[in-house]
Amino acid sequence: MAGEDQVLAIVLRALENLNAELEDGQQVPVMSTTPLFGADAELDSLALVSVIVDVEAGLAEVFGRPFGLMDDQAMEREISPFTSVQTLVDYIGELLAQAA
Amino acid sequence: MNAAAPPAQTVLVGEFVTLRPLTVADAEMTHRWRHDDRARHLNRAAPTVADQANWIAARPPAEYNFIIELKTGEPVGMVALLEIDHANRRAEAGRFLIGEAQAARGVPAAVEAMKLIYELAFDTLNLERIHGLIGADNHLMLKWQTFLGMKEEGRLRRHYFKDEVFTDAVALGLLASEYHAVARPRMMALVAAGRAAGGAR
Repeated sequence: MAGEDQVLAIVLRALENLNAELEDGQQVPVMSTTPLFGADAELDSLALVSVIVDVEAGLAEVFGRPFGLMDDQAMEREISPFTSVQTLVDYIGELLAQAA
Repeated sequence: MNAAAPPAQTVLVGEFVTLRPLTVADAEMTHRWRHDDRARHLNRAAPTVADQANWIAARPPAEYNFIIELKTGEPVGMVALLEIDHANRRAEAGRFLIGEAQAARGVPAAVEAMKLIYELAFDTLNLERIHGLIGADNHLMLKWQTFLGMKEEGRLRRHYFKDEVFTDAVALGLLASEYHAVARPRMMALVAAGRAAGGAR
């Protein structure tokens, strides 16, 4: 996927930003395998929004156009793009490929 | 406008959570939540469980104070709709706290609780405006509320004094039109994300 490393870095940076707001006992692992939202996940919906906002801002900065991660395309999926860091990176890759 | 039950009898039922009235029997649990580190951005809490019970008992009957329960019946947080002004069709959303963070992980509990509060305010009570104050250092909540459509309307300088430090408050507001155009679709999308990711119901 074009820019996969860049996208992964953006998502991991969003997790680092989140951790900066959380106490020691609430820290989220900053890894590509981290489950985000759903069963056995690390985030509640407040934390998920923080990640979405920061990832959208990071993508806009790097790729020079606005990104909306909560659109109908994302919500219509059987498996949510927000299930894990990797599913989110894969979903963003699809968005980038569609735009190319 | 739909008929609204009295606040003390109002139960709001969602897909992942139910909001039921706060009672004095919740004093010990909510006192613990209010003294947890997650509540550090809220107003100063009642010092003792007895004080918390007295505070709950003293809530005006026109306020909606809720406990957020998962579908298992496990209480995970609290939220309120207060300062309801029917003449001017406005109210304040507040006292929002997820006290059981571990239980709420992976579940769209917070967002669905807020969705139920907004539905009560805009759809049932036919209000035009919801407002609230958030500490300027509460970055996660500010990010959350603005993502869900609230607009910053002002700043109250040195509004809170806690732990010997003054903090500004950010005044936020959401109009009915913004609720329908922005807040509701985004809240529904977040609830759907929890559903698609297999969040526990």
